[in-house]
Formats: sequence, structure tokens, C-alpha cells
Amino acid sequence: MRCAIMSFAHVHAEGYLRNLRANPAVEFIGFADEDADRGRHFAEQTGAPWFPTYEALLAEKPDGVIICSENARHRALAEMAAAAGAHILSEKPLATTPADAQAMVEACARAGVTLMTAFPMRFSAPTIEAKKVLDSGALGTVYGCNATNQGQLPRLHSAYPRGWFTDPALAGGGAATDHVVHVADLLRWYFQSEVTEVYAELNRIFYQEPGVNVETGGLVMLTFANGAFASIDCSWSKPPHYPTWGGLTMELVGEGGLVIVDPFRQVMSVYAQGTARPAWSYWGSNANQAMVDEFVSAVQERRAPAVTGHDGQQAAEIVAAAYRSAESHQPVALPPA
Amino acid sequence: MLRVGIVGAGFMGAYHAAGWARTPAELVGFHSLNQRQIDQLIAQYGGRTFATLDALLDAVDVVDICTPTHLHYEMVLRAAAKGKHIVCEKPLARTAEQGEALVAACRQAGVTLLVAHVVRFFPEYAQAKTIVERGEIGRVGVVRLKRVSFQPNRPEDNWFVDIAKSGGMMLDLMIHDLDYARWVAGEVESVFARSVRSARPGAPGDYALAILRHANGALSNVEGGWAYPPPMFRTSLEIAGDGGLLEHPAGSSTALSVHLMAREEGDAPEIAVPRSPLLEDPYVVEIKHFYDVLAHGATPRVTAEDGLAALKLALAAIESAQTGRPVTL
Repeated sequence: MRCAIMSFAHVHAEGYLRNLRANPAVEFIGFADEDADRGRHFAEQTGAPWFPTYEALLAEKPDGVIICSENARHRALAEMAAAAGAHILSEKPLATTPADAQAMVEACARAGVTLMTAFPMRFSAPTIEAKKVLDSGALGTVYGCNATNQGQLPRLHSAYPRGWFTDPALAGGGAATDHVVHVADLLRWYFQSEVTEVYAELNRIFYQEPGVNVETGGLVMLTFANGAFASIDCSWSKPPHYPTWGGLTMELVGEGGLVIVDPFRQVMSVYAQGTARPAWSYWGSNANQAMVDEFVSAVQERRAPAVTGHDGQQAAEIVAAAYRSAESHQPVALPPA
Repeated sequence: MLRVGIVGAGFMGAYHAAGWARTPAELVGFHSLNQRQIDQLIAQYGGRTFATLDALLDAVDVVDICTPTHLHYEMVLRAAAKGKHIVCEKPLARTAEQGEALVAACRQAGVTLLVAHVVRFFPEYAQAKTIVERGEIGRVGVVRLKRVSFQPNRPEDNWFVDIAKSGGMMLDLMIHDLDYARWVAGEVESVFARSVRSARPGAPGDYALAILRHANGALSNVEGGWAYPPPMFRTSLEIAGDGGLLEHPAGSSTALSVHLMAREEGDAPEIAVPRSPLLEDPYVVEIKHFYDVLAHGATPRVTAEDGLAALKLALAAIESAQTGRPVTL
């Protein structure tokens, strides 16, 4: 399967490039980026062929592409790729508006190509084990979930300047856009139930610095059709000197007790000489690799991937509702899926 | 010498008795419906039995009310009417109207009313407050507080699970962290909460999540529950500021673990109280502080108004969970 990456705007692009190269079924043909500086920088760093336009890349007829552009540009690239017959794995959030997400789903359906949303947490070993516990019925009826997906300012995760994460026009928003979707998607998957209502409070206290024009803190409450409720702390509340990028946690409380999911805890603390602070070294399984492998397998086997465009669209609806709620300070009902 | 009497000789009465015993105050005795519990406390701390509340009030300068929540109102009123200073377990009262009336009555009578929000005296919580006040983590952005244990399981008079008496988990337990959130992040503008009591009235456990918006823009996530398998009790504390982060995850400060070969499956305690080995118990710290306030005029760490504000926060969270709408304070 011939694969390519469209844009290196997102900090995950380098990792996905490694994941594609590590998959024996994949022939990696290169990446396109219309930002020439960025294109040349990552061509040099990765040794991958760089295409200065998306048209030039799609002329190579890739079977599959991973879209890693700025969030607001996902739709345009997905429509181009679908028209060229390429299957698509899109970085999350699928889109910055529900309308764009729906357009992407429809464009891919019309073109007969796969659309997968990059929710790697579905492929994390601890989250999969937790799903098994829930499916076993051991927890019984789930009352609620207290979840976090906290991080740092995303641009701190990249040595190459990627300031667009805090530009509302390109990112769609800040911490809520970045960090509501993973937990929301995991809980939709766990509960097999849709979100019916969203309440959100957002603020901008962390990282008050030039160029940060989005919310950096937020607490969101989701209510599901099955009666469960869940809070998500989506804040960029980890300071720059934190020993890791952030994390995702879920504590599920139900009739049967408590299940704690902390997938990024598979770390050891390293106090290396010459470094001022300890660092957490992650030794757990590589969920991103499993996600990219699933994309490749799904395309090859001509089946729906484990995470679909519809899942990304539902997450986009939840984020949009969170912004409406934060504006009105009232809960916002979601239309039935 | 300051003369103190304790009303209610249950587990909280016993904690407070242990505290008063460590002060110069004279613990003159107890009033309770449970003579067996009184006898145990007298054997340990001295003092005598008072057959009526009025008899106890006539013999003391300070009354320490450790009775079930629904009894606080009448007892505080009577104590204030007799001009006695009052220590009252949290929550101050069962309703906001009662709470308002108590604060007004004590002010009018010129007596001091201290509400025993003991979490403010737990060393990790007190120290976190100090770190925030010193500006070490900058301006507070998001506060996260957890306090979940198992359903109280008293063989007789299990008033905790009687909503009419205790107000339920949110008024009895979650109020600790609602008070603490207000202490570290300031006045609260609105509360939005979800509770299993409202979502699934027949559920055996109780569990709730609340989002607070503070007047200064900070947000708080408060989790409370009687839902864990006994004897599990977890608390956690996290305060994120624009200049740093303070994390105290559940279980991270386990300074002593004892793992013995099983003899028999031990029964869980009836009511859970968080524990970490300390030379001075937080309840003792609390009562010693109250002594300093009453005997020497020290500035109270928690005022009657704080107790009233915490009561209103908990009632707002309950109302929000019931109505599904945020409650503005």
C-alpha cells in the first residue's frame, strides 16, 4: 500500500511518518507541504521525499494519506484526497466545525474511500483492557467518569515552530478543541452511547503570552444517553517544566466499584546528569503504531476501520456544543446522532 | 479556665474529645442519647454525663456540637440563646435558611460560632493553601479535588444515608472540598453538578461531579462519592496556576503500608476517615486552633460565614444536579 502524509503542520506528523515506515505493508512515498520552509526542514530531518504542492503528491496516486495539516484545513485536504481516490486517516479533531466534519464524511462516502479519525487512545493497551472490564459487566451500571486530558501548550512539543495551535482561525480553538475529543471518543466507545448534553466552562489563565488567543483551561461535563455523566479537564495546565507532555486519565465509578485508567503512567522517572529536572520515560506499547497499522489493514481488507469519520464527526459536535455552552454558561443539548 | 461540653458522642464526638483533651480547656462532660458511647469517652477523657442539653449548656463556656446535621439548628440556637460559644460540626445546618438564622443568632448573642471544616487543618491541604498564597504557582486557573469513599454503614441509626437528616453525600462529604475550593480559589459564581442520586434514584451508591466557576475566573472540578468498595477512601488535590502546578494524587503519600498474612476478612469500618500517620491528628490541630480562637482571640481559620458559604455551595450543587441547570450564587 502506497502511503503519504499531507502537511507537516501538526506535531504528530513525524511520529506518523515513523509509523508508516515501520509497517511492512506500506511503501512510504513522501509528504506534501505548501510551506516550503517546513517542507525542506522535515525533508532534511526525515530523508523523506517532499512535494511542494498537494496536487503533485496526489498525482503520484497514493492509496492512503494521513492528513496532518492545521485543523481548519483538514476538510480541504480530505476533499482533494478523496477526489484523487486516496483513503484517509485524518489527525484529530476531524474538523473545526460539525459542518466541515459532515462534508468530509460525505465526500469520502461519495468517493468510496475510507475515512478514519486519528484517535490513538482506542489502540492503547490499558484503555483496551479497561474496555474489556466494562464489557464484562464487572462494574455494572456506570454512574460517572472523572477524566482528564491535560497538557502543555502544544507548541512546546515541537522544536520546529508550530504556533498555529493557538490561532483560533487555524486551530478552531484551544484546549477544548485539542483535549475534549479523546476522552469523549473513548467514553462513546466504552458506553456504546451518544452524548446528549454538554456543559463547559473555559478560561484563559495558563500561558497568557503573545500569540495565545484561545482558551487554555477548561472543565467540560458530558451527559450520555445511557444516563452516565463525565467531566473532562481539557486544560493546558501542565507547566513547561513538567516531566512529560501531559496525560489522559479516566476514573469510572459504577455499581460494581471503581476502574482507574491511566495509560500514560507506564513510565519511569529518569534523573539524568546534566538535566535540571527529572523526565518520565514512557515504556508502554505504541498506540500510534497500532492505529496506523489498523488504517492500513482496514484499507487492505476493504472494511471499515475501528474508528471512523463518523466518530470524528460526533466528537466535533461535542466540541462545538462545548463552545456554545461556555458562551451561554448553560448546558447545550445535542441532536440525536 | 475555658469549660467545654460535647453534644453527641459518636465518632466525631470522640475525635473532638481527643482534641479538647490536648488543650488547657476543661472538658466538663457530654450529652448524648447513647450512654454507652458517653461512658467510653468519660473513661478516656473524664467529665460527666449531662441528661439534657440545657444542663450541659448551663455548665460550660463552649459547646461543641457533634450531632447529626439535622439537629444542629435547634442546638446552636439554644446555645446562642444561653450566650455560649459554639463549635459546630460541618455542615453548619440542613438548609440555607437555617444556616442564615444561626449566623444571625450568634452575631446577635455576641457568641463565636466556629464550623469544623477539618480539611482546612489537614497538613497537605493547609500547606497547599500556603503555597498558593505565597504565589509559588502563580494565578490559580483550575483546581481539582476528589473525596470518594464507601457508603456509610452503621448498624444502628445510619443517619448519613437519610437525606432528611444528613442532606446526603453532597452536603455531608462533598462540602469539604466545596469549602476548600472557595478557600483557595475565592468566591464562587456558579455551580453545575451531576449526581447519580438525580440521574438514577435507585442506584445503591452515591456519586457526583461538580464544576465551579469562581469570580476571579478560576474553575474547580469537585468529585464526591459514597461509591467505592469498602474500605477504600481516596482523596486528591491538584491546583494548577499560570506559574506552576501543585499535584497531590490519591495514594501518593502512603507513608506506611502494612500487609499481613490474612487471618479473617476484616470488616470495613462503619465510616471512613482519611488517614496518614501524623504526630498530631488534624482533628487535634483543629480543636487546638479553636481553643486559641476562643481563649486568646486568635483569628479563626474558618468563620461562621465560611461555614454558611460552604453550606450554600453544597445546596447549590444539589439543586443543580436536581434541575440540570447551573446555579448562580
